[in-house]
Amino acid sequence: MNDVLHRLVYYSRNRIAGPPEQIDVIIAHILEVSRRNNERVGVTGALMFNDGCFAQVLEGPTVAVEQTFERIQQDPNHGDVLLLACEPVTARAFDNWSMAYVGRSTAGAARYGGIAGSTGFDPVTLTANDLFEILHTLTLEEEEAPARQSA
Amino acid sequence: MDKDNFSDGGADPVARALADLAAGVIAVDPGGAIVLANPCAAGFFSPVDPVGLRLRTLFSLAGVADPESLAEAVEADGARIRLLDGRVLEARSRPASCGGQAITLIDVTRYVHETQRASRDPLTGLANRLEMSERIEALLSVHRRDPGSAALLVLDLDRFKAVNDTLGHPVGDALLVKVTERLRSAVRQGDVLARLGGDEFAVLLPERPQPAAVEALAARLVDLIGRSYVVAGHMANIGVSIGIALIPEDGEEAEKLLRHADLALYRAKSGGRGRYRFFSAGMNEAMEARRTLELDLRRAVALKQFEMVYQPQFDLEHNTLVGFEALLRWNHPVRGLVSPGEFVPLAEEIGLITSIGEWTLRTACREAAGWPREVSIAVNVSAMQFRSDASLLATVRSVLDATGLKPSRLELEITEGVLLNDTDRTLEILHALKALGVRISMDDFGTGYSSLSYLRRFPFDKIKIDQSFVSGSEDAHAVAIVRAVAALGASLGMRTTAEGIETHQQLARMRAEGCSEVQGYLTGRPMSAAAAAGILLEPAGPDDSPALHLASQKEFAA
Ligand SMILES: Cc1cc2nc3c(=O)[nH]c(=O)nc-3n(C[C@H](O)[C@H](O)[C@H](O)COP(=O)(O)O)c2cc1C
Repeated sequence: MNDVLHRLVYYSRNRIAGPPEQIDVIIAHILEVSRRNNERVGVTGALMFNDGCFAQVLEGPTVAVEQTFERIQQDPNHGDVLLLACEPVTARAFDNWSMAYVGRSTAGAARYGGIAGSTGFDPVTLTANDLFEILHTLTLEEEEAPARQSA
Repeated sequence: MDKDNFSDGGADPVARALADLAAGVIAVDPGGAIVLANPCAAGFFSPVDPVGLRLRTLFSLAGVADPESLAEAVEADGARIRLLDGRVLEARSRPASCGGQAITLIDVTRYVHETQRASRDPLTGLANRLEMSERIEALLSVHRRDPGSAALLVLDLDRFKAVNDTLGHPVGDALLVKVTERLRSAVRQGDVLARLGGDEFAVLLPERPQPAAVEALAARLVDLIGRSYVVAGHMANIGVSIGIALIPEDGEEAEKLLRHADLALYRAKSGGRGRYRFFSAGMNEAMEARRTLELDLRRAVALKQFEMVYQPQFDLEHNTLVGFEALLRWNHPVRGLVSPGEFVPLAEEIGLITSIGEWTLRTACREAAGWPREVSIAVNVSAMQFRSDASLLATVRSVLDATGLKPSRLELEITEGVLLNDTDRTLEILHALKALGVRISMDDFGTGYSSLSYLRRFPFDKIKIDQSFVSGSEDAHAVAIVRAVAALGASLGMRTTAEGIETHQQLARMRAEGCSEVQGYLTGRPMSAAAAAGILLEPAGPDDSPALHLASQKEFAA
């Protein structure tokens, strides 16, 4: 992993049809696959699902990020993928997460609407940096949440 | 001559020839054991010594894939042997007179690689155009025995050239490889993918699903290939347009099918890119019509079927004939009169406009130079002439020189399309033309963007108000626009000409709104150069102008 690191940020529209429970199942599966695949190639990052949109940050060796993104791009579970940024970075922000998922601890609030309420998550108007910051902050919060519970 | 297997050859010329042969020769005894291998044959399998082995054992020891069945095939008749190091041998076997078999081995590596390269696109590994049309032909010949249906999609990437130009060839190539992967992920096993060239791909669906499913695939490809790419750390955005031909209804030859799919693609592209279109017979007719028009147009240039006619222009202040606009006519023996609106865009597209434009300019200037009065002569110059005729300025200069026409009599009419591209260079040419003494008018004002900034960027001598505002002069908005343009012209020191005057009423209105000149059927239809000269011979003057006699005294008294 002496390769140059790249960070990629995109958002996309959900194309998974069906009731929320079914969407949950599919997302859980996506996460499981993502964690397995990403760990293998040294990709880390975070995924957020909210209001019919996905937002994702991927970071890792350039080629690994590129290949992972290319696979994700071909996934019919989402569409209208808008690539907000893809740039070299000096360090990872999601070092500990092969794919963090934002939405777990806030799920108690009005399902996915909770995040929208608390963060004003409207990907269309967000810049890559905003999106990255939001995902980063929320990931850290969620990281702490279970830690507090167990403490 | 005591090479291992040829100890019994001695000085025998046959044995010596065998030893020197560039082809491998192996003899197998009736029991299946190799009894002889010439040096060339031994060399192919080195370090394994073939003598004493069975064919299958030899193949197996030499690391050839599937030795058993290969040996069987070779013994039966012949086969290709792919050696470990990549060399390919063509093996042929013949029964030997003394029982057993004689096998020849010829190295065909070069040939095989060449044909492979010729049918595959080296970058993407997809079939190339040749291979694709062969695959289509093969499918069609199957259909002749066993009718079936299939579909052919031809894809062309949108904006690929821009990516290639900005990010460079290596990134462009890597992008093509990614596109190929996406294509592969969307088609089914058995579908044939090809790269026809550049950024053009094709998909053959030999087992055609319902048209709805073909459409679904096309829609999926438009979506999938249009998604952004990350290539070598760069973001790249391209799209794809798709043309579809159905087999057998859209053609029963590969060539025709590819052409029809291409036609549909062309339509998809001109419909705004990122779309797919099915071929329809109408497209063919439209394209046929275009093709014959193109042929006729090329012929027209050679056969000089063009002629110039001249439409008078009148000054409203002095009620005098002040000039003519030169109009191009194409008189085709069968088509009759073809309007410039019909052939000029095509002439621009196929690059004929430069020569037609030059002919127009030369003829108009020559004929006008011979007229009895020094009235102005207006000639249209298309945007394409500015773009493609690097020497427009030189052309104008040489025409003026050759015809002896005073530069001040020549008026070049340009549309705002001229100013849309490469404005600095265009302005430079316009200023240079003006420096020659030539006048410049803005034609068809009001039809396009009609940006006022164009009028500020260049000191036009005249603004020509499009005839739609004149014919619409019953409409208050049209009148308001005419008034505004006339006022604008007056304040900028530019003359204004209202075009397409057909009624006395329109004439009166244009005069009332302050236009400086008029042109139209009412005041004079386009006429031959001789007729124009004839009119100019008649005495000039407000009430003597022949065409203006058409207008009643009442209207002109104002
Ligand atoms: C919004 C979204 C995000 C995804 N993120 C990842 C990811 O980070 N890593 C990954 O390997 N697959 C991700 N996937 C799944 C891929 O699209 C694809 O299904 C998966 O990589 C296939 O892996 P497999 O070949 O191991 O089954 C994502 C899918 C979606 C819809």
